[in-house]
Amino acid sequence: MSDRDIQILIDSFWPLLKAGVLYTIPLSVITFVLGLLLAIVTALVRMYAWAPFRWVADFYVWIIRGTPLLVQLFIIFYGLPMAGLTLDAFPSAIIGFSLSVGAYGSEIVRAAIVSVQKGQWEAAYSLGMTRLQALRRIVLPQAARVSVPPLGNSFIGLVKDTSLAAVITLAEMFRRAQQIVATTYEPLLLYCEVAVIYLLFSTVLSVLQNLSERYLARYSAS
Amino acid sequence: MIRVRGIRKTFGKQEVLRGVDFTLPTGQVLAVIGPSGSGKTTLLRCLNLLEVPDFGTLELGNASLAFTPGAKLRPREVLGLRKQTGMVFQSFNLFPHMTALGNVIEAQVTVQKKRKVEAEERARMLLDKVGLAGRADYYPHKLSGGQQQRVAIARAMALEPEVLLFDEPTSALDPELAGEVLKVIKQLASEGMTMVIVTHLMKFAEEVADYVILMDDGLIVEEGPPKEVFRHPKSSRAAQFLSVLAE
Repeated sequence: MSDRDIQILIDSFWPLLKAGVLYTIPLSVITFVLGLLLAIVTALVRMYAWAPFRWVADFYVWIIRGTPLLVQLFIIFYGLPMAGLTLDAFPSAIIGFSLSVGAYGSEIVRAAIVSVQKGQWEAAYSLGMTRLQALRRIVLPQAARVSVPPLGNSFIGLVKDTSLAAVITLAEMFRRAQQIVATTYEPLLLYCEVAVIYLLFSTVLSVLQNLSERYLARYSAS
Repeated sequence: MIRVRGIRKTFGKQEVLRGVDFTLPTGQVLAVIGPSGSGKTTLLRCLNLLEVPDFGTLELGNASLAFTPGAKLRPREVLGLRKQTGMVFQSFNLFPHMTALGNVIEAQVTVQKKRKVEAEERARMLLDKVGLAGRADYYPHKLSGGQQQRVAIARAMALEPEVLLFDEPTSALDPELAGEVLKVIKQLASEGMTMVIVTHLMKFAEEVADYVILMDDGLIVEEGPPKEVFRHPKSSRAAQFLSVLAE
């Protein structure tokens, strides 16, 4: 590796990391929080709501899971302006990714709720709790524990998926790498470097996932 | 007091309860015995509406309900009845994400809207009553089965219910652990707690109950004070059931 290569790696490290900290991380975190709320609401609606609401939720999950995320982002960013709704790249990305997390996450949340034993509901009911109280106080906390590993996977997947936002002009980490490649003509170096930074982010998240799993397992022998 | 009249319940094509009547005065203990599949657990679960009967009437405390097929009960009626009953399950069903203390506090705060301090005071008193004052801060998985079931009894008493319902409370326990649970139930009986106990422990039923019901195939086939039911059963079905157990 020549001195020039090393210099390029060093010079591009901070701009890339900066793009990661300014765009990739906020986009991932905001999207995951919104997506998770959407996932919980969608799961509850699909399980318990009045039939027409259930159909709407089923339809939403069907559409989002059945079409490519990349196409969804294009529709939101390039397509919606034709219908009179023009959004900046960042809000477009937030909306696109949140809808995706919400749809996939709802299946995780639903499975976790179903995994809580029927006896837990019955114990809550026998104490005079309403369904909402039983859900909030007894079932969801236990479902949360079950859903942490798969949700952690989703979050790590999401961090990497945010690189798709490059195609809708968002100056996140991968787009920044493309820009630097355009001036340095070193695609192998730069794309490997950005891959390493993504790997760094994912690794930190895996550690956090393990910690939260351990925290949530504090009341359980298993 | 509990007064049950003409309770019927069908699951699919199976009629599990085919018209059950009984009356239990306040402060008395009713033991429900019978072979498995006789409907005794379903009867118990009808008393706090974990199962809603198809027909019949139920009076319990200040609640008075009449059942007809397809008629939905108002949520307030259901909750009103459940607040007057406490249930102890065969498999304990403690909330695993809460300590023993938390389990007993929970409904007082969530359902009764009591202040946390008062709820905790009552919870500690109840845990002390079941002999577990020293285990208040343990999570259920750190407790033995017998201890878990005693926490469950304390939890069932948290809302000061009119009636405690027990669904085979010692079936999941080793005999030695069952003993400590039975002792607590006997103590409650001596203090005048109104209780309905589904059990297959005949000796325990005889000791603790003021009145015994023997069920078979969804009907009461024998009832009376324990001495009469166990020593001088009138129906041939009861005599047969008890003699099989005696072997």
